[in-house]
Amino acid sequence: MRCKHDITMAHHAVNAMTLATCLWVLVLTSMGVAQAQVQTQADNHVQTSALATEFTADVPQLIEQAELAGIHHRYGGAWEYFVGGGLSSFDCNQDRLPDLYIAGGEYPAQLFINRSAPGGVLKFDKLDDAELPPNQSLALTQVLGSYPIDIDNDGYQDLVVLRAGENTVFKGAANCRFKRANTLWRFAGGNAWTTAFSATFEAGKRYPTLALGNYVDRSAPGSPWGTCHDNELHRADDTADTPIYTHLQPLAPGYCALSLLFTDWNRSGTDALRVTNDRHYYRGGQEQLWRLDSGAYPRLYSAAEGWEPLVIWGMGIAQADLDADGYPEYALTSMGDTKLQVLDIEQAIDENRPTYEDMAWTRGATAHRPYTGEDLKPSTGWHAQFEDINNDAQLDLFITKGNVENMNDFARFDPDNLLLGTYNNTFSEQGLAAGVALDTRGRGASVVDLNADGLLDIVVVNRGDNVSVFRHTGMQIANSQTRSDPAQSNPVQADQTRPGGNWLKIQLQQAGDNRHAIGARVSIKTGNLVQSRRLTIGGGHASGAAGFIHVGLGVAERATIRVQWPDGQWSAAYKVFANHHVMLERDKHTVTQWFPANPTQPQ
Amino acid sequence: MNSMYTNIPVAGAALLVSFNLMASEPWSEQAITQHIDQADYAGELNQSRLSSLIDAGNALFDARFTRIDGVGRPMATQAIVPTKRKRLPRTDFSRTAGLDANACSSCHHVPVIGGAGDFSANVFVSEGFQHTDFDTTDPQFSNERNTNHLFGAGLLELLAREMTGDLQAQRNTALQRARAGDAQVRQPLHSKGVSFGAVIAYPDGRLDTAMIEGVDHDLVIRPFSHKGVMTSIRQFTINALNHHHGMQATERFGPRWTGHDDFDEDGKRAEITAGDVTALVAWQATLPPPLQQSPDTTQWVRAAAAGEKHFDTLGCAECHKPYLTLDSLVFDDPGPLDVAGTLRTGEAVDTRYDLAMLDWAASLEKDEQGRFKVPLFGDLKRHVIADQQVAALGNELLSQRFVERNVFMTSELWGVASTAPYGHRGDMTTLAEVINAHGGAARSSRDAWKALHDSQQGELIAWLKTLLIVP
Repeated sequence: MRCKHDITMAHHAVNAMTLATCLWVLVLTSMGVAQAQVQTQADNHVQTSALATEFTADVPQLIEQAELAGIHHRYGGAWEYFVGGGLSSFDCNQDRLPDLYIAGGEYPAQLFINRSAPGGVLKFDKLDDAELPPNQSLALTQVLGSYPIDIDNDGYQDLVVLRAGENTVFKGAANCRFKRANTLWRFAGGNAWTTAFSATFEAGKRYPTLALGNYVDRSAPGSPWGTCHDNELHRADDTADTPIYTHLQPLAPGYCALSLLFTDWNRSGTDALRVTNDRHYYRGGQEQLWRLDSGAYPRLYSAAEGWEPLVIWGMGIAQADLDADGYPEYALTSMGDTKLQVLDIEQAIDENRPTYEDMAWTRGATAHRPYTGEDLKPSTGWHAQFEDINNDAQLDLFITKGNVENMNDFARFDPDNLLLGTYNNTFSEQGLAAGVALDTRGRGASVVDLNADGLLDIVVVNRGDNVSVFRHTGMQIANSQTRSDPAQSNPVQADQTRPGGNWLKIQLQQAGDNRHAIGARVSIKTGNLVQSRRLTIGGGHASGAAGFIHVGLGVAERATIRVQWPDGQWSAAYKVFANHHVMLERDKHTVTQWFPANPTQPQ
Repeated sequence: MNSMYTNIPVAGAALLVSFNLMASEPWSEQAITQHIDQADYAGELNQSRLSSLIDAGNALFDARFTRIDGVGRPMATQAIVPTKRKRLPRTDFSRTAGLDANACSSCHHVPVIGGAGDFSANVFVSEGFQHTDFDTTDPQFSNERNTNHLFGAGLLELLAREMTGDLQAQRNTALQRARAGDAQVRQPLHSKGVSFGAVIAYPDGRLDTAMIEGVDHDLVIRPFSHKGVMTSIRQFTINALNHHHGMQATERFGPRWTGHDDFDEDGKRAEITAGDVTALVAWQATLPPPLQQSPDTTQWVRAAAAGEKHFDTLGCAECHKPYLTLDSLVFDDPGPLDVAGTLRTGEAVDTRYDLAMLDWAASLEKDEQGRFKVPLFGDLKRHVIADQQVAALGNELLSQRFVERNVFMTSELWGVASTAPYGHRGDMTTLAEVINAHGGAARSSRDAWKALHDSQQGELIAWLKTLLIVP
């Protein structure tokens, strides 16, 4: 089986219109063919859209409330900040509500503490750490993104902060206190333009292995073209009581990575490192998959091993096991069409070959141009995340969109995508109906339940604009076809909702190292349907998350859960009731429930 | 393929058209001639509108559904969660996986419509969704269950709602106290004199549920089915319509949750509307509760009086509580406890009626606080009912909806004199047999019963025989 190159190659032609206007001459030569290809696909997409109007599942009501929530924050700056713009959603004050640490580019990054009432309006307080010593302040400039991770296994989330300059790791403590730990953990922050991150607990290791993805090496001769920086692998010394990152290994060649993700692509129990790269700056590059056999020096999967070259403007990676077969699928954002890669399982099983087919067109997930407005130019995709936003037991795909800066060949009004999963395994674009189609330039994001009501909210970092905070207020009653153009305003009213499908939120815990069970698989069974989730750190666009796993259950009122812990051992079955937060502790066979403060509503 | 469904998509459509044209004719074979519009019953119903809704529900409950109405689920299983079959069934009717009845009243008819069923009306409840085509009564594939009666069902659901409210309020209070006091709180759970164990709340919002007894960990009292695993009449009605008749309610099997407007692929769309379910609920919820009857002979009166004392002395009444008190007779449909897949409050059109409007309501006694005494002879709690020596009621192999195989909800005894046979399989022909079969938590009472003199046992039976369903 081979990749479907027809669509991919068409968009490669379209995407010859590049990130920078200096390539205009080249672009113009390919425009004729490219536009024709786009038109053909656009015509086809009209049919898809016609089907979309018949979308029968729930459409969430998402209302932008950043100002109301007390979040005033902008990401911006010069060329280094055309990319990046990420955030971390994680609990830093032990109330189990996600707090937000948001990159600012040339502006200081900020930490917002979640004060939302359960099920109520969203409310955040900006952490004022001006009085703190410099090594305890998170208000750094030159920040492109961040990822939360408990590096030293003390139960508190630490932060890896990606910068155009020295990367910084912060050791977390109670009540949102952080302390710079580059020296403590001997973490070499370097001076690169770092845009991507992922981490994994390699087999038998106490501390996580960290991978950092770097973009253009600005100091190299001939920069920026063809001068991509190597990526980095940081492995810790396991003999100490504190993680000591003395083993820095370059991942060369680097091809200007914009997202990394450790992923168990072949269900082997050992993660490989997926890298999505921006073809705009590399020469002779492609997408990459690094093989990391335990402790061994990483090496790239080659074409001879089944890794087929793919050249895109890779911006973000999302993974999900859409069919719960144990082999994850990947969404790769780019300029033009998004890829949805599905593994050729026969080749994987028989020969361990990582060969993928792009199913984005078949499944309606290309999201290659704006779905509303007059702008027919190609989209620019960034963050991608699979979640079940309407709780119908079908995974959805959220993609942030936004022109790089002043790219005339790409859509200027480029709304974020909300591709809702359908019951026939395709996706239906419902961003317009849902209320996320704003005229902003999205970058990083987090799809996360901010107020513990089981409904996933969305936070989007916008370049040059305030952050968007979309509160999920329920499922819409009104027919999506009656919605007016959201480019004018958000037409949705708060009282037009009804309850949606059932849901679960699951948190894993284990004693000792890797307390949050990074790398664990969670299998959720309702009737004949099995859904699968895996805890990973990385992917998206410069944005990480830690906290409850969210699962939509549709009409199932209970579920049976089994966990494959990071060491490969399976748990017994946990029996859980819908619409609850549950905590599954290793070696404990009963389920602990969790309730937010003031649980006035029966759950 | 021998199935009669093979040609439905083409020929069936034409047939349906022609049958629909004849629906108004006296010889029509269509059972549902007009679906109920939920909007017609919005808000609080007066006696007249409630009567109209009950009549519609009565007609549906007694309707012998036909193919024209939507009978059949050739490509859907009996499962509660909409589940597609992988292939057409060999036969469309089957006493095991269903379809296994033509009307609700086919099974619920002893002693009158709405009542119980004898052994021939047993159903097979399968938790094994993957064995959708099971065609055996081997208990490794399904649990065989006798048909319960429905009299007093509305009162049971109201009791369950109030008890759920009590238990969840106690849990929430414990969580708040734990947070406020920064210390763990052990909170006993009880409602209407029934204990449900305890929970431990921690200051950070965690809740240890390991000590909960007799109710699911979400603290929702599910009053229906032998196991006590169904939340509401509405939920059970939707389940049963699909399982027994292949009549699929839109509110669960419709496009919103399945992407299909004919999920079972029988050529019929919108087989059961939300209004139809509401009517069926109304009819069942307003069925009168069985009340203890006074025997017509002095000898029986005396024996029953003695038997009632035995019932209490033996400890039977610890679980078969003579009554539970109910604060309100106002019935909301949909109710507050259902979850997605069964219509919920505020999701569409809500209906409310006060059971106090019904004639039988006046016969309910009240306690000193003005609460209605619902004489169910039950506690709406699950118990272990079998043990190593007395295992007859632990005869199932499959747990159901997380409830262990030897655990059942206390059977309400109201109407027991009219609803033989007994036991959840309906394989015990006398009350004495089923009393003898009580093990587990009821073992001591059963042993005490066994120790009674024959005449005393007879007195207890005499009393139980006063718990009649009176048409």
